[in-house]
Amino acid sequence: MLFKCLLRCAAQQTERILIVFVLMCVSRCPWLTKVISPAVPLYNGLVFLFVLANFSMATFMDPGVYPRADEDEDKEDDFRAPLYKNVEIKGIQVRMKWCATCHFYRPPRCSHCSVCDNCVEDFDHHCPWVNNCIGRRNYRYFFLFLLSLSAHMVGVFCFGLIFVLDHRETLGALHTTVTLVVMCIAGLFFIPVMGLTGFHMVLVARGRTTNEQVTGKFRGGVNPFTKGCCGNVEYVLCSPLAPRYMLDPRKKPHVKIQPPFIRPDLSDRQITIKVSDNGIHSTIISSKSKSSLDGLDDKETQPPLPPKADRYNQLKSQMTSSEGKNHRNTSTTAAWWCFSSLSGKTHPSTPAMYKFRPSFGTMPKVHYHTTEEKIVISDDRKPSAILEEGVRGHDYRSEPNLDLPEYANAPLHRTFQSSPLQLDSDPINSRTLSLKQGHGRPEKGQLPALEPRTVTSTPYKSVFSPNNLSNRNGSLSYDSLLNPSISPATASECMAHRGVPSVGFHSPYLPTKMCHIREPDMQRQQVPPTYSPVIPPRVVGRQSPHLRDRDPSPVRYDNLSQTIMASIQERKEKEEREKRQMHHGRSQTHIYAQDSGVFDGGYGLPANACYPDGPRGPGSRGPTPPAYGGSRDNLMGVGLMSYGQRTPVLRHAGSTLGRAPRTSPTSLHTDQSSINSSQSRTTGPEGPYRSPAHQPHSPAMPRSPSYSRQKLSYISAHERTDSPQAMKVNGQMDCHPSAQGAALSPSRHSNVKKVTGVGGTTYEISV
Amino acid sequence: MATEFHNLQELRHSPSLVTKVFIQRDYSEGTVCRFQTKFPSELDNRIERTLLEETVKTLNSYYAEAEKIGGQSYLEGCLACATAYIIFLCMETRYEKVLRKISGFIQEQNEKIYAPRGLLLTDPIERGMRVLEISVFEDRGSGGSSPSSTMSSGSSAR
Repeated sequence: MLFKCLLRCAAQQTERILIVFVLMCVSRCPWLTKVISPAVPLYNGLVFLFVLANFSMATFMDPGVYPRADEDEDKEDDFRAPLYKNVEIKGIQVRMKWCATCHFYRPPRCSHCSVCDNCVEDFDHHCPWVNNCIGRRNYRYFFLFLLSLSAHMVGVFCFGLIFVLDHRETLGALHTTVTLVVMCIAGLFFIPVMGLTGFHMVLVARGRTTNEQVTGKFRGGVNPFTKGCCGNVEYVLCSPLAPRYMLDPRKKPHVKIQPPFIRPDLSDRQITIKVSDNGIHSTIISSKSKSSLDGLDDKETQPPLPPKADRYNQLKSQMTSSEGKNHRNTSTTAAWWCFSSLSGKTHPSTPAMYKFRPSFGTMPKVHYHTTEEKIVISDDRKPSAILEEGVRGHDYRSEPNLDLPEYANAPLHRTFQSSPLQLDSDPINSRTLSLKQGHGRPEKGQLPALEPRTVTSTPYKSVFSPNNLSNRNGSLSYDSLLNPSISPATASECMAHRGVPSVGFHSPYLPTKMCHIREPDMQRQQVPPTYSPVIPPRVVGRQSPHLRDRDPSPVRYDNLSQTIMASIQERKEKEEREKRQMHHGRSQTHIYAQDSGVFDGGYGLPANACYPDGPRGPGSRGPTPPAYGGSRDNLMGVGLMSYGQRTPVLRHAGSTLGRAPRTSPTSLHTDQSSINSSQSRTTGPEGPYRSPAHQPHSPAMPRSPSYSRQKLSYISAHERTDSPQAMKVNGQMDCHPSAQGAALSPSRHSNVKKVTGVGGTTYEISV
Repeated sequence: MATEFHNLQELRHSPSLVTKVFIQRDYSEGTVCRFQTKFPSELDNRIERTLLEETVKTLNSYYAEAEKIGGQSYLEGCLACATAYIIFLCMETRYEKVLRKISGFIQEQNEKIYAPRGLLLTDPIERGMRVLEISVFEDRGSGGSSPSSTMSSGSSAR
């Protein structure tokens, strides 16, 4: 069928060429032979033959089609695998995209042709003239076809001109007329053909493909595939003919494999863990996982290497070992991909990455990787679903998360959520900050510190993805769990939480599980497991207060550290206060601000938006736990109080979210403005309840200049408002910032930071 | 074969495919065909590092030789042009010759080194030269604890 079409189109083209040639020959050759030289028809004939041969080769030759990947190979790149994989070519980061049709990561310069429905090596373009893709194998013939056709047309035109000029008197004669017509046709086609030829000559000289040129891949950048002008020309014209990949299955002689198998000495090898793969579960040796973790850490410092597969294998083994359970390979691999994409990237990938998704660009932060590893292996398991433009819309988070492996069943390659929250949060935060505020964030530095704690996946990413507003990340907020009406996607955006990576909308148990799993890690790292799905009360107006409806939190509080417990307590109090405030009809912004609805899925994006605002506006609140203003700052300046800070920040974000549970990126801006406005109010006496909260209590907080400023203003505001009352008015913000001191006081979160976890869980961590 | 009588004894001892390890391409030098020489950890207890690295290095050298732009490739190009590419119908290109050599090399490596260790290399050309696939087999042992899967080349078929 395809061949018939091909033939038909090729035939059409050939016909045209033939007609022109024949006409030309008939009309002029005899005369030209006589007048100029007998070489004329010979020359024309040769050129025409050359055109025809190259045309045939370009049309009928396999351009370098990749066969579909085997099922087994596909399993390795799992559902959770990231959409992009970075590879370094001659020092330049190039990203390889996962091809959903062909089931592999497209090699560099490879692209999928939608017309042919194949991935083609060194894909140039799909040529309608020859009705075939132009790729590695047939680019030379296509180029030569263009050159020869141009030469042929020039020849036809010139000789025709000579003939006509010579026969000016007998223009009416048949021969002359035909020649004129032929000349016109040649002249008409001359322009597009010459244009295309010139374009390809430039491409060949620069060592680019049409696809790369048109998509602007190397615009302003360096082309890693160039070999210099001469080298490029040589490569195009003189390289050996590449092999065909779409071969008929050859009959290979069978190789007998008979046990017993020779095994190498296990002298110095540690006990190996059989990596579970292809559904085979291996025994896990926990010690190895720990060592692997260390090993991973070491690896992280390495520069990104092309051999990601190795890391993958190692990571995978480590992950499986740590998991110690039957995990679907998918989850393992997914986690691995998360790692691999993150690890080994010492710096942001090529600009192209950023153009695609902000989150992606940030993914390869190496430092994130480190933290991730340390934190929880299980995080890897979290499905990192890369946000995909076309989103599948599958909300893996919505799956019950009782089982982590199931959790990992997130949709495939298309979605990538880096499991460690930090991955997401940091990039997101920095990104939002940079995007929104346009200024370097001093807090950025803090964020990485925060990273270690963020374990949740990438809700941010989803937020930023214009196309992916799906709830892939699910709603991590407890509220969302309680209130299905809230879009889970936004809830998950509020990330910087560690831990509740994807408590999806339906899985209130995930946090528990996460906490549970994290326990050992947390203890190891001295990082309080952060979030407890304390659901901050969403905007009252918007939802029914959760305080009332809330079921006993699924989080196992007994697992949490004291600080967390304190934060949770404070949070609850705050929520109550907020509720009361809402009832008092406080301004919307306040309500929102207070609303730790950031945790709600729907607000993920706005939450992120908040972050940028934080440092900018009054956000530079200290680590005051209650105010999310402070939380925002906390997030920024996490370095110190990591999670503690997070909460407040998230909270702040939540406020914006509360305002508009939008998941679209545009909401970011809106929310930002709302945040700003609300922030601006902080200094007011009755001002946003935030002000007390914002009291920059902890010294660590002031990361941004504005922050310190705000600190003072907040403090003054706070004092002005006669704190206790103000607190009450503000919904009982636990704002005794100064009074509290550094210790966690359950009800006074002077140093308690409220961190909004992914999915909307809020927890307060004392600073 | 009409009916296969599977001796239970035989079945018990026939190896089964456990997993596949993929050695990815090394793109650090561009799109030249090279495979990573880093040793995958899954094979840690199956084969010595040096053996596998040697195999991969040899394969890389073969591919480099095939893709070399030099005298032979010039000649081939000119000849093809001159004959309007009809020569491709008659003659085997240099790359194809090297591929045949590689295929023989892999076969030999499989027989000598990998099969005795329960591994099997797959020619990269079958995978579009994107990965070097190593199938890992496990002795099913008695009782067949590991899930059995069809083996691409196995000794069970006798």
